[in-house]
Amino acid sequence: MSRNGFASRFAGCVSPAWLVGWGFGIALVVFVFWTGSVLAADHAPPPDTACVGCHAANEHTYPLPSGKTLSLDAGMSQLLASVHGSGATEPVYCTDCHRNDTNYRYPHLPNPAQNREEFGKQISQNCQACHAELHRHSPGHLNAVDNPNLPDCLDCHGQGHAVTPVATLTADPVAMCQRCHQTYADPRIGQVHEELATNFGPDQDCQTCHTDAPIYPADVRCRTCHLLLQSSVTLASGEQVSLHKDPATLAGSVHGTSMAKHGYTPLRCTSCHRDAERYAFPHQPPTAQDVRHLTLQMDNLCQECHPQIAALNRDSVHEAARVRGELVAASCTDCHGSHDIQTPNEPRERISETCGNCHSTINAQYAKSVHGAALLGEENPDVPVCIDCHGVHNIASPETAQFRAASPNLCAGCHADATLMAKYDISTNVFNTYVADFHGTTVELFEKQTPWQETNKAVCYDCHGIHNILPPNDENSQVIKENLVTTCRQCHPDANANFPAAWTSHFEPSPQHNALVYYVNLFYMILIPAVVGGFLLLIGSDVYRHTGDRLRTKRKDRSKKEATK
Amino acid sequence: MSKVTQRYARFDTAQRVEHGLLILSFTVLAVSGLPQKYANAGWADWMIWLLGGIEMTRLIHHSAAVVLILGSIYHLMSVGYRLLVLRVGLSMLPGWKDVVDAVQTLGYNFRLRRDPPRMGRYTFGEKVEYWAVIWGTVIMMLTGFMLWNPIAATHLLPGQFIPAAKAAHGGEALLAVLSIVTWHFYNVHVKHFNKSMFSGWLSRHEMEEEHPLALAAGETAQKKTVDQAALRRRRHIYLPVAFLLSLAFLVSVYFFVTFETTAITTVPRQTVEIYAPVTPTTTP
Repeated sequence: MSRNGFASRFAGCVSPAWLVGWGFGIALVVFVFWTGSVLAADHAPPPDTACVGCHAANEHTYPLPSGKTLSLDAGMSQLLASVHGSGATEPVYCTDCHRNDTNYRYPHLPNPAQNREEFGKQISQNCQACHAELHRHSPGHLNAVDNPNLPDCLDCHGQGHAVTPVATLTADPVAMCQRCHQTYADPRIGQVHEELATNFGPDQDCQTCHTDAPIYPADVRCRTCHLLLQSSVTLASGEQVSLHKDPATLAGSVHGTSMAKHGYTPLRCTSCHRDAERYAFPHQPPTAQDVRHLTLQMDNLCQECHPQIAALNRDSVHEAARVRGELVAASCTDCHGSHDIQTPNEPRERISETCGNCHSTINAQYAKSVHGAALLGEENPDVPVCIDCHGVHNIASPETAQFRAASPNLCAGCHADATLMAKYDISTNVFNTYVADFHGTTVELFEKQTPWQETNKAVCYDCHGIHNILPPNDENSQVIKENLVTTCRQCHPDANANFPAAWTSHFEPSPQHNALVYYVNLFYMILIPAVVGGFLLLIGSDVYRHTGDRLRTKRKDRSKKEATK
Repeated sequence: MSKVTQRYARFDTAQRVEHGLLILSFTVLAVSGLPQKYANAGWADWMIWLLGGIEMTRLIHHSAAVVLILGSIYHLMSVGYRLLVLRVGLSMLPGWKDVVDAVQTLGYNFRLRRDPPRMGRYTFGEKVEYWAVIWGTVIMMLTGFMLWNPIAATHLLPGQFIPAAKAAHGGEALLAVLSIVTWHFYNVHVKHFNKSMFSGWLSRHEMEEEHPLALAAGETAQKKTVDQAALRRRRHIYLPVAFLLSLAFLVSVYFFVTFETTAITTVPRQTVEIYAPVTPTTTP
């Protein structure tokens, strides 16, 4: 074949019309591709189009080795409705979560999860790619990778792709927690939690306490629960101890405001409830059998801050009684209170009221006495209250001979105080005249020499009464003239009507009172100097005469000797 | 026997024993009594402590008082014997001469007189002492009875007599003790030690110095012939009477001591309801 044959054949094909036709066609294709690529830059199909292509309306399932099946349907409508769909501010694509092999990106590798829980945990790793700061997620939940019972993200935020909006979750957060936390190993704890949940305030939920950020001070946790709780713990004895504690009580006590006022840090719940024995959190069931033992369990705490007072208290009748086994004997908190401790002597009536809590019959007597009536009726600041006679922490037994022998000095503490008694126009001679008399002389000597010995001589309260002491001019007073012989007969059963006048009634002898005694004294005040003076005069004069005589004789002898010389 | 060494009988043995008993009881009474009068003083407190406490001090005081009372009864009986049976002179009876003697003694001491008054068996000073003891003992016994038996006393007397008796008892005690330590001690111990109460005798010098009239009376007097029959007769009357009287006195002493139980020995304890809680104990 000649070259003219190929060329003529090529020339025969390439007609001008053919060229235009092909040229136009090529230009069109280029144009389409160019415009397409430009358009694709703005309106590219989503990256998960392929995923959706398979996983939308996919009725197939994937079996896990545990037997549980996973649906291969992505649940597109739920996904679009979820926080990751229409609720998201930015589009979330399948590959945002399923970003690599371990997160089931295409091409899907066989699933290593053995069961649903493992699968859930693996999937939960996906969430942390975006949700790095997991506030309000208990660390227990997140860190317990080895505990299959603990929840993963999906457990709370939704199965599958239907991620629940946070607002929905927080609408009833308690119910959320209760989905898992329904039963407790200790039913009492369950009961408490149930009660708390019922009483939650508007801003409170489980995470008020069960949270790690921000760190919630223990004390605040105590207050939060115990303010909400209204129920009681029943002790073995059947007694109930209320769990309700108003934090305002402690704050308003001396351990709150007063301490703050004096520059100390107010006490917190955990200052006292510091360990398991003192019922610190986590609370153990009460070991005390009854309320009394519960009180005494806490009682030795006070001495840690108040050692001197505790030392005094160890010498008290209360402590002695408790050592003997009389558990009702007052402990610190019986008088002072526990959470609500207030200044114990403000107002002053508070003192007798405190003692009266246990000693009510005595307090009732005291209230009617001259002292008690003045205290309670006129808020008198001078009359003795219980502690003025009995002491405060080292309260001595009033049953001892020692107390009795010392008691007149106790009364004299006020009744011989001139400035104090002047206010009430009461004689301060009462003590002197008592001591000058037979009874007082004896008792004072007993007190000084053998205070441990009993004496049968009357002390102030034998005649005047103890707690029921009345003014001496009161018609019911034991010492008013009409009643005096009866009073004397307590010790002098044979006393007759004249006998009471043998007592000088606390009057210094004078022409007006005890005149006979006064004149006898006067008689001897004159007689003794007169007689003894007379004797001394005679003696003195005798000494004078005899010394004189002796000197004269000596002088005479001397002059005689000189003369003979 | 020379005149210088001649001895003159002054006190017989019974009198000297009686005086010894008086020394004993008086001293014990003073030692156990004065601290009671001045019980507030430090020294009194100390003395009472030494005596074994106030109750023991009172017991000692009461015991010594009984001794003194018994001595007084004996004295009364012996004086009765001397006066009624022996019919010795009433040499202890004070008289006007004693007043004169006292004034003259002062005069002599102040050199207003050349010579001291001449006195008999008992000088005015000794009579003062004797009668002071009688007076004091009577007062102390009366007031002591009232203090020992105040309930019995107030049956007869107003109550105020008891504190008055106490005042008198104390005042009299002070007077007695002061008299003894001034007058008695000076005259028989300081001025010169008169041993006659222990030896029973006075020397002639002492007689001349202090009892010249007694000396003179003794020398001039005829030895009185004693009618032994009359003496025996008087004794036979006196002794039974004295015995009965003494018995009566002893019985009254017994009453004195045990007349009444003034007070109960133990003050009864009041039973007070100690634990009476107002409300069930509040929970903490």
